[in-house]
Amino acid sequence: MLAWSAVASAAAAFVACLAGWLAGGGSVELAWAPTLGLRIDLAFDGLAALYSLLATGIGALVFAYGAGYLPWHLEHVGRPAHDAWRFWPWMVVFMGSMVGLACARDLVLLFVFFDLTAVASYFLIGFDRDRDARGAALMALLVTGVSAVALLIAAVLLYDAYGTFSLPELFERAGTGTTTTVAGVLIAVAALAKSAQVPLHFWLPRAMAAPTPVSAYLHSAAMVAAGVLVLGRVHPLLVKSDLVLDGLLVVGLVSIAVGGVLALAQDELKQILAHSTISQYGYVVTLYGIGGATAAGAATLYVLAHAIAKSALFMTAGAVTVTTGESQLSRLGGLGRRLPALAVASGVAAATLAALPLTLGFFKDELFFQAAGEHGRLVQLLAVGAAALTVAYIGRFWLGLFTGPLRARPSGGVPPLLLGPIAVLGALALVGGFVVEPFARLAEDAAEVTHVGGLDVAPAYHLDAGTENAMALAAWGLGALVLLASRFREPLVRAFARAGERVGPRRWYALSLLGLNRLSDWAHDTEVRDLRNSIAAVLVPAAALIALAFVVTPTRGSYAAGSLGADDLPIVVLLALGVAAAVTAARDRGRLRPVLALSVLGFALAGVYAMAGAPDVALVAVLVETVLTLVFVGVFARLPSASVRRPRLRARNAIIGAAAGASVFAAIWGALSRRTPAEGVAAEHIERAPGAHGGDVVTVILADFRGLDTMVEITVLAVAVVGIASLLSRGRPW
Amino acid sequence: MSLILEVVAPRLLGPAVMVAAAIIVKGYADVGDGFSAGVIVALAIALRYITLGTERAERGLPILRRAPVVAVGGLLIALAVGFLPVLAGDPPFTHRPAPGAEVVKIGTLELISAVAFDVGVFLLVCGALVVLVHHLARLVQGDER
Repeated sequence: MLAWSAVASAAAAFVACLAGWLAGGGSVELAWAPTLGLRIDLAFDGLAALYSLLATGIGALVFAYGAGYLPWHLEHVGRPAHDAWRFWPWMVVFMGSMVGLACARDLVLLFVFFDLTAVASYFLIGFDRDRDARGAALMALLVTGVSAVALLIAAVLLYDAYGTFSLPELFERAGTGTTTTVAGVLIAVAALAKSAQVPLHFWLPRAMAAPTPVSAYLHSAAMVAAGVLVLGRVHPLLVKSDLVLDGLLVVGLVSIAVGGVLALAQDELKQILAHSTISQYGYVVTLYGIGGATAAGAATLYVLAHAIAKSALFMTAGAVTVTTGESQLSRLGGLGRRLPALAVASGVAAATLAALPLTLGFFKDELFFQAAGEHGRLVQLLAVGAAALTVAYIGRFWLGLFTGPLRARPSGGVPPLLLGPIAVLGALALVGGFVVEPFARLAEDAAEVTHVGGLDVAPAYHLDAGTENAMALAAWGLGALVLLASRFREPLVRAFARAGERVGPRRWYALSLLGLNRLSDWAHDTEVRDLRNSIAAVLVPAAALIALAFVVTPTRGSYAAGSLGADDLPIVVLLALGVAAAVTAARDRGRLRPVLALSVLGFALAGVYAMAGAPDVALVAVLVETVLTLVFVGVFARLPSASVRRPRLRARNAIIGAAAGASVFAAIWGALSRRTPAEGVAAEHIERAPGAHGGDVVTVILADFRGLDTMVEITVLAVAVVGIASLLSRGRPW
Repeated sequence: MSLILEVVAPRLLGPAVMVAAAIIVKGYADVGDGFSAGVIVALAIALRYITLGTERAERGLPILRRAPVVAVGGLLIALAVGFLPVLAGDPPFTHRPAPGAEVVKIGTLELISAVAFDVGVFLLVCGALVVLVHHLARLVQGDER
């Protein structure tokens, strides 16, 4: 039921997106925080249409597949059926944030949706909750989340330089220069980490710990596509710097090679596909690095064809595992005769990935070769090598599964719910091989956002001896050669994979995580080892930093130790009371008396606030002081009655205390000596309070001028209470 | 606990609620706001817990069970007041009536949306603190058993 409502929502969203695309799109713009330049600026343009249609269309199919797969999975790992509630909501949230990301035309909004997808993927990858899944989820969150901060930094840099977060405005205003280059590099880092490009690719193979529908969705058409989506969205900014484009080209080509070679080395089905995804998005990144009209069109068509094929292949891997119970390629084979429908459907998908003719995939490589040819001989050669690698690993995957001797016996046929979505995607890829116009039009609309200015995506079969056809033939031949020469291939790719494990970036990730953990443990242990250290952690910085501020900043003129007049007498008396109370609290050997002395100190200070013209602060101080006294008394009443031996006074403690006290005294003396409110915000608040119907400035600030801050603060309070409830009584609210 | 305290403490709740109401009603024109009002009521309830013990305190005042609902309700009220203006195209926390416009007054109570926000803050603070006291009190009592 839950699963089917997710399918229905995805299908409805798909229909809505399709209608929106056919109607020519549209845009919404809402004020969010206008004074900060933040707007909710969503546009349903060509690029948004492409990625929304992918997210919702493939989403609907994968959800339907998941409706059949998840019950089996839950039973397989021995979990109750209602754990589906931990799965479907996140899938739908993911789909929503993906559509939002596709439509966002504002850098900050882009960042928000970017992180939303990361959060949803964290829960989806970690769905199985074992050690492996948790580590994988954390790794995906850290790698994509930390590098997403680069996107935010880039947004702030650009805002600082050009005064807007809006992408269309930035495209107009931004010039070539260091700021644009640095921002471009930062955005690219965030996007490349999300699209699992070398050297930040290692999270994707690890994320295969997720259930198959998650992989089929997130790791083919959605999460990893988010990276290249951002690249396509900000591309007009990236082309202003050759450095960024060249960087993209290199990263893309290296990713194709590394992903492809590692895909040949894997034995686990989903691992092969994960490495293939790294390689395939390398193609798209390469195309964005090449730049220009042809490459922009090629990139969008590539994303479209790859998403269709790859999610079908992921679902194939899951269906094979469900029917045979095996997930290793070396233990599978000969399934073609037993599961003919699955073999045909996934065969079309594999052929699409390998760019064989009569499938949609042929055109993606045709355009890829065309764009590479425009960029020069070296890229052209590398493109052929890349395509050959693809033919080899996807051939190994499909042939290994469906041909040869039968190894693992399938227990019956593939359930129709698992087969259906694969068949639909396969049929779609096949239709694209004959009627490519609708796909090309979608890709063209999307590419027009990337490459401002006219462009024409017109893939077709050319039965001539053109360059692209020669390149395709060379790629198939070379790929077949690599596929057949398994005796030479195996040792080489194994050695490469081993070297990657030993010195690759995944090891660096593990080492840095370990180092950070140790540092945090050390700091934590040092600070909370005993009460004295906890207090020193507050007092020592207070003493040192304030003293430092007095030493380095010029105090002449700005620091005035005001004179004491007759009207200051009440304050002096209150402060003297406070001093006496403080000394009592420090020196008294009893238990309750120091507590009461402390509260006397607090009330004396509240009195000072009242005298110094801050009745609101005084009221809150009185209340807080009362609460603290009550808590102290309540806790002390329950302590065992035996008297505790108080530690003897140490010179070090006294010195630290005195130093902190002196620093703070100097600072407060200066602050209290200022009678007139400072110019600026405070004066403006006082001036505007009557206009907001308020007599009390502090209340008006809390409820009106700074209402959003108060909202956040009380939300924090609510969250803190939820946290305490979950710590003390396992989350029961009462 | 002394007998006087045991008699006085539970009866402090009425005056505390009165003071809180006064602070909210007068709050926008005078010192005090929803936060202070919430803490005052929560203080009176905490005093009740300390003098009567958890079980008696809660048995005598069953409405305390609703504290989580009160807290969430307060949060929702505050959210609604803050973000409903967005639907009308205004930035969040645009209070009505607008600056300079006429305000309806009932006694000292001014009917402005900022006061509704303050009520939300009051409910949240009060509810959250009572939930906190409840959990801590149960913890302490569990230790004693």
